[in-house]
Amino acid sequence: MLHAKIIDLKKEKIEVNKAEEFVSSSKFGASLIFKGTVRENNDNKKVTGITYDSHDAMVIKSFEEIYNEVGQKLKIKDKAVYVEHVKGYLGLGEISIIIAVACPHRAETYILSRYIIEEIKKRSPIWKKEHYENEESEWLKGNPIQAN
Amino acid sequence: MKVKLELFGASRDLSDNDFLEFNIEKKISIKDFKKKIINYVDERFKGNKNFKKIIETSAFCSEDNNIISENYKITKDQKIGIIPPIGGG
Repeated sequence: MLHAKIIDLKKEKIEVNKAEEFVSSSKFGASLIFKGTVRENNDNKKVTGITYDSHDAMVIKSFEEIYNEVGQKLKIKDKAVYVEHVKGYLGLGEISIIIAVACPHRAETYILSRYIIEEIKKRSPIWKKEHYENEESEWLKGNPIQAN
Repeated sequence: MKVKLELFGASRDLSDNDFLEFNIEKKISIKDFKKKIINYVDERFKGNKNFKKIIETSAFCSEDNNIISENYKITKDQKIGIIPPIGGG
């Protein structure tokens, strides 16, 4: 069971309670909610906010691919996965990503949640533009995507 | 033919719009299309090194949202997305 969505902050908000609701089931004995938030410092620069950009269709496709491969790669078959990432401007402390997972046992939830965030960082076309105290801003250097 | 280059991430600094349009005379590989974009940077931004680096390190994607190789041939009017190095979360 997968929920995958890009939240356009001009139109809606990202909400943790929806994630919690999605992964709640008596089928599962463990659930875990990961939130990524905007922190105030990066590379010794005072950050005031981040603008996120995304290639929506490719991001959703990457979330689906990651979800579909965990059955085989991690041997985790029974699972609920909720992934939302924002696009648009966020201030300090605001949520950029929610990954909620539920599995029959706790060990699987830790493995699954960690796997998903690491793969998203490697594979999902999302970009960050940091804004600083001195009113400057810059796109962060990322990881190049390779063609197959 | 017209190739619409959709801009994402750092490549958005190449235009005030979300895209750039190129008129291309004959079919062209992504490798050569990249050179056209670099020529655009030379003309429009006096060869801005940061912009050139973005293009050189970017991947490209097709209209059906697949990453395409440098050998991929553009043969008709279409949209191509430029995918600079990524880093969400």
